[in-house]
Amino acid sequence: MDIERYLPLTPVVLEIAMALAAGERHGYDIMQDVERRTAGRIVLHPGTLYRALARLLDQKLIEELEERREDNTDERRRYYRLTPLGRAVARAEVERLAGQVSAARRLFRGGRA
Amino acid sequence: MTLAAAYRGLLRAYPREFRERFGAEMERALRDRYRAARRRGPLAVAALAARTPVDVLANAAALRLSQRESTAMNWQSMSMDVRYACRMFARNPIFTLLAVAALTLGIGANSAIFTIVNGVLLRPLPYETPDRLVMVWSTNAVEHRDHDAVAPLDFLDFRNASAFADLQTTYSFIVGASLQTAAGVDQIVATAVTPGMFEMLGRRPLIGRTLTDAEVQTAVVISHGFWQRRLGGDPNVIGRVLTISSQPRTVVGIMPPDFVFPYKTMLGPSGFTRSFDVDAWLPLQFVTTNSRATGVATLSRSARFMSVVGRLRPGVTVQQADAEVRGIASQLAATYPETNRVVSSVVVPLHEQAVGGMRPALSLLLGGVGFVLLMACVNLANLLLARSSARQREMAVRSALGAARGRLVRQTLVETLLLSCAGGVLALLAVRWSMSALLALAPGDMPRLGEVRADFPVLAFTFALSVITGLAIGLVPGLAASRPAVQTTLKDAGRGTTAGRGQRRLRAALVVAEVALAVVLTLGAGLLLRSFMSVLAIDPGFKPDHLLTLQILLPNAYQTPDRQRALYSDLFTRIEAIPGVTSAGGTTRLPLGSTNVSTTVDVEGHALPPGEWPEVEFRRAMRNYFTAMGIPILRGRGFTDQDGPNAPPVVVVNERAAHRLLPGADPIGRRVRFGSATSPWVTIVGVVGDIRHSALEADPSPEVYTWYLQNPPANPFLVVRSTTDAALLTPAVRDVVQAVDKNIAAYDIRPMAQVRSQSVAQRRFVLLLVGAFGVLALVMAAVGVYGVMALVVSERTAEIGIRVALGAAPGDVLRSVVAEGLVLAGTGIAAGLAGALAIVPLLSAQLYGIGAFDPPTLVTVPAVLLLVAFAACLVPARKAMLVDPVDALRS
Repeated sequence: MDIERYLPLTPVVLEIAMALAAGERHGYDIMQDVERRTAGRIVLHPGTLYRALARLLDQKLIEELEERREDNTDERRRYYRLTPLGRAVARAEVERLAGQVSAARRLFRGGRA
Repeated sequence: MTLAAAYRGLLRAYPREFRERFGAEMERALRDRYRAARRRGPLAVAALAARTPVDVLANAAALRLSQRESTAMNWQSMSMDVRYACRMFARNPIFTLLAVAALTLGIGANSAIFTIVNGVLLRPLPYETPDRLVMVWSTNAVEHRDHDAVAPLDFLDFRNASAFADLQTTYSFIVGASLQTAAGVDQIVATAVTPGMFEMLGRRPLIGRTLTDAEVQTAVVISHGFWQRRLGGDPNVIGRVLTISSQPRTVVGIMPPDFVFPYKTMLGPSGFTRSFDVDAWLPLQFVTTNSRATGVATLSRSARFMSVVGRLRPGVTVQQADAEVRGIASQLAATYPETNRVVSSVVVPLHEQAVGGMRPALSLLLGGVGFVLLMACVNLANLLLARSSARQREMAVRSALGAARGRLVRQTLVETLLLSCAGGVLALLAVRWSMSALLALAPGDMPRLGEVRADFPVLAFTFALSVITGLAIGLVPGLAASRPAVQTTLKDAGRGTTAGRGQRRLRAALVVAEVALAVVLTLGAGLLLRSFMSVLAIDPGFKPDHLLTLQILLPNAYQTPDRQRALYSDLFTRIEAIPGVTSAGGTTRLPLGSTNVSTTVDVEGHALPPGEWPEVEFRRAMRNYFTAMGIPILRGRGFTDQDGPNAPPVVVVNERAAHRLLPGADPIGRRVRFGSATSPWVTIVGVVGDIRHSALEADPSPEVYTWYLQNPPANPFLVVRSTTDAALLTPAVRDVVQAVDKNIAAYDIRPMAQVRSQSVAQRRFVLLLVGAFGVLALVMAAVGVYGVMALVVSERTAEIGIRVALGAAPGDVLRSVVAEGLVLAGTGIAAGLAGALAIVPLLSAQLYGIGAFDPPTLVTVPAVLLLVAFAACLVPARKAMLVDPVDALRS
């Protein structure tokens, strides 16, 4: 599988992947997690979130859980989790970013021209 | 919960599939967010409420766009549409030809006008970073002049302003200079510029170098045109010595062909009213002694004759520069009240100065031609609509076979886009081919006409216009045709194809719109025509018929006044001896054909300080000038030969000047002096009639005339009145001048009637074009009315047949068809008049002698349109009258 063709990920997609890194979550949970982790710098609204989720589902980077976990509420929610491919793509994206960041650090830290 | 309902409504923006998949989840997520926001307070709720619609709509739009890319815009189906459209065109060649012709006309007319607008108004001036170039003018609060030339000493003070990176100056007039040739002398056009001018404008010579401060009076830079025309493009011209106005000058450089400086409009009010191209730039030298030599400027504060051009420092705005220059000017006014008390200054962007004056006329043309295209579009939409009703069956079949509505609309759009792009391509060819004819019509004094050409912006404009036109004419019939009532249309297969009531109403609406547009256009053309006629009817105060004018330039050999007087005496005697000549004279400023120069006047006994002396236009009169021009002497006397060089100095004033200088008093015998307190007193001996000098529309100015025997000019205009056609005198007058001295340059020989006609060239140009637009509009309105009425009649053949069978007289049938057509036209006229109320006031700057709501025009235009509509109805009405009831009922 050619992972390169999914890269680079948009910041929103990477945030979603990070939210799902620890395990499955439902939509609102993802929104809250992203907002908390970025201290409010990135706020996902439903429109943006679900368009990204639809795309990730189509690309098979995430999948919907077959069995719905019952919360303590009476509402049945949909839960998403990363597929192995999704995890690999996220890891590749992090490597790509790390490479870019360290190269940039070398260039900008050295000569403050 | 209403909020949820609102959100569900918003979600309808999404494609259904997406909505069904995620809608419920999104609603739930929003509800959670809403609860969280409510805990944080009303501000958070408000923020959420504001953000949510944006979030939903933007994402829905993005989603829909990305879907469309993958389905509808697929090349294969597109090329099918194109091939299908081409087959349609081939099947209806007459329709195709008509449509392409109308589009070529509409788009071509727009491209042509845009080509002029682009070349004159939009393209940057041919200097480096021209947006930082400005002009500095003097203003005169007392004379209400905002555009006066600058005095040399004031210029040197402005040079210190920190706003300017560089400030240079040129004569604010163009001098006629003589070029010594083997055969005699030629007249050339020269101007003097401070040597740094070329560098400031950022232009380098094509060959050689520009001027330096060290070589004043000995060097010259020539124009590309002059080099080609007069010097045969000689490649070794650098270093060659030309004798210009009796002064030998070495050619040091040739400017590139696209270099123009200055434009006519950059000259002061004493500029040059005729078009010109500068042949030679001489270095300008400032001197302290009084001198009248070419290329020399006497340092003074009272003689204002410099056009000042400057380059702003980066980051400095025109407003800042203006404020600084005004500050300097007010200091000068305080320090030198004698000369500068009422004088201030203003900074104007160079581009605005050069072409700003053309903006109203060109905008008017662009607007008018836009209306023409709009009418062509309406006409074509109507034509397509008629055709689409014939194609309704086809569309219904395609729809029944499963074609999406979008595909059907696209099919129509592909057809109209192909038509309009063909029109656009032909329009470009037509523009290329007809541009020179259009430019020949344009007034010669329009700045930058030489720079007009069909370049990339014209191409882009034409392309964009073609696409917009194609979409506009395709959308209405496309949408109308793509909603066929499949069942009824297919069931009606046996009966002929007729448009439904809705379509007929749409077509009628289009015709009403067309007539309304035609009303606005013809109304505009009518108003311009009436203005033109009232301008032509203006009495200029002199008699332009049977009058020949020319300008002469004396060689330097005639330096003393005595030699000049002897020459003029000889010259005028010989001219007046030409058979047919009744009188001859001359002046330094020819009305309608030359510039202005003014002087301040002190009236004896008024005891005003020099800074407050009134200002009047200043000319000299020669020989029988007033008689030859037909300017009446109203009081006192004209000049006579007794007013010789040793007689008491005398002056003649016009009525306005008499009123201005000595209101309510008898001016005869009063004494005045010009310019400064050291000038001699001169006596007013006569009052002559006012004349229109700068333009026919311009009110007469106060003028004073001095007498040539007491102050002979070196570069006067001559006027020769004859009993014959003035133009016929040209060879005889030229021969006489040559016979007196072959070194006298005689040029611009033309009848005064031509001078007068050239002075209204811009008005004529605008009128001609808008008039042509008006005629086109009438034709298109007629075609539109004819088309819709012909359709009505053909559709109602059966009904008419029944009526005739039941005993309706042919006259009744005719009347009912004509009445229906006239109701359409009348509605359009009413709508057009209402629209004109809003649009016509924009014209008022172009009008003269009439208001924007001119009753004769407002009555005539609707009458003409009704008449045209009536004529257009007659053909279909006649056809209706001749319907044979038997045939009609059988079919």
